[in-house]
Amino acid sequence: MASTANVDVSVEAPGTLQRRMTVRVPSDEIEREIDARLKNMRKTARLKGFRPGKVPARVVRKRFGGQVRSEVLSDVIRTSFSRAIDQERLNPAGSPAIEPLTSQDDHFSYRAIFEVYPEIELKGVEGLAVKRPEVAIEDSDIDAMIDKLRAGLATWEAVERAAAPGDRVTVDFTGKIGKEAFEGGEGKDVPIVLGSGQVIHDFDKALKGVRSGDEKRARVKFPKDYPVEELAGRKAVFEIAVHRVEEQVLPEVDDEFLTNFGIEDGDIEQLRSQVLDNMQRELDERLRSHANTNVLEAFLDANEIEVPNALTEQEIDFLQAEAMRRLGADDPEQAPARELFADAAARRVKISLLVQEFIARQGLELDRSRVEERLDTLTAPYENPHEAAQLYRSNRELMAQVESAVVQDQVVELLTERARVTGKKMTFDEFMGTAEAAESG
Amino acid sequence: MSVVAQERLMQVLIGPHVSEKSTIAADQSGHVVFRVRRDATKAEIRKAVEMLLDVKVVSVTVARMPGKPKRFGRTMGRRQAWKKAYVRLAPGHEIDFIGAE
Repeated sequence: MASTANVDVSVEAPGTLQRRMTVRVPSDEIEREIDARLKNMRKTARLKGFRPGKVPARVVRKRFGGQVRSEVLSDVIRTSFSRAIDQERLNPAGSPAIEPLTSQDDHFSYRAIFEVYPEIELKGVEGLAVKRPEVAIEDSDIDAMIDKLRAGLATWEAVERAAAPGDRVTVDFTGKIGKEAFEGGEGKDVPIVLGSGQVIHDFDKALKGVRSGDEKRARVKFPKDYPVEELAGRKAVFEIAVHRVEEQVLPEVDDEFLTNFGIEDGDIEQLRSQVLDNMQRELDERLRSHANTNVLEAFLDANEIEVPNALTEQEIDFLQAEAMRRLGADDPEQAPARELFADAAARRVKISLLVQEFIARQGLELDRSRVEERLDTLTAPYENPHEAAQLYRSNRELMAQVESAVVQDQVVELLTERARVTGKKMTFDEFMGTAEAAESG
Repeated sequence: MSVVAQERLMQVLIGPHVSEKSTIAADQSGHVVFRVRRDATKAEIRKAVEMLLDVKVVSVTVARMPGKPKRFGRTMGRRQAWKKAYVRLAPGHEIDFIGAE
């Protein structure tokens, strides 16, 4: 069908992005194609009872006509569809849903329903209002971090006083509901840190103030949202025998403590600077990703666009598959519900559309050297970074991911340069807290 | 026709036989070709075709086809022989097997 004639197309737009296109193709064009193919087939068709190439045309048509017809139709649909798209200057997103219409008179016609990419008018390229957190690491932040390190190396020392929150209590217990023992209601030599939420609230409360050697009976009520369904909301009685009460002893910051962090003969200042370095690195990383999302968020707010459903659906598929891989599940039944990803998917599609549009408008080009840089940082943790980098290079999909991340960074940078940035002072803890909340949200 | 006789007729025709020769026969003189039971008679074939396919038969000729010799390892074997029937239909009647197979 090399005919160069225009296709007979009519387009309706039932929604902003939906398009309903009706295409008509003359029947004799189709019949001619079918004949040509059947003629070709005669030479090669193998049928029992006939020598190859000697099958009569009539028999070939009877036998293969239907099959050839449907092949031709799907070809015709494909070619005429792409021609029609060209002709109408449409930019379809996702693949079209095609339904053949009952053929009338001398035309074959079908209807294609699809969505088009939105026309995007970029706004807020200049002077995007962005808040940038300004975070400085104070001495007190370093102190707090060192305290955390000390807590990690803490030892426990038995005491004879009453147990207080933060102490570790080692107990035996047997619990009954009414007169019945229940599963998980018994334990021997169980260490419990008071106030850490390790056991249900009532149990924790009962342990407060016990001394080593005490025996105690505690009435407790399981919370309504207790994960073991049979126990949730039930009342139980525990017999508790206390073996030990221990308090946490933080190690002194001395040479021995320092050796734990690879400082053989140095002083506390060396540890402080090491800690500061680590914190600074983490902070920078967070600040960058925070700025990234912040700018994109602002850009997104400035450009309210409608996205084609087809793309969102695709993105949902992708996110779902990703989530499955993270969970290590391979049973499609266990896949998290699609609805969970709908918002995130729509957001991602919007961002990628905006970024693409931005790139096209600005004539932005991928910075090869930055791709290399990113590849280096990505592969650095591997045992053999060079090999890993090769692996990335040979996998087009992975490369595309890396490249799009780089381009996105470039876009963000350009936007940031032109944005109206207002600083916002925050402490280290505050910022790390919000950044975490934003990332998990 | 007794039930027994009818059952016999149901078994006579084994299937249509489609080949270069059979298409030529169909085109030139309105024959249809069947593979039939080896012990079927011309009279039985005529009745069976008229009954099962609802057409009028003018004449029936049969041919006994020897099975092809086939070598099986070192021993020789022979495929089952079979019977072929050329059934000539009255003008205006026709049966179309092609594509049905």
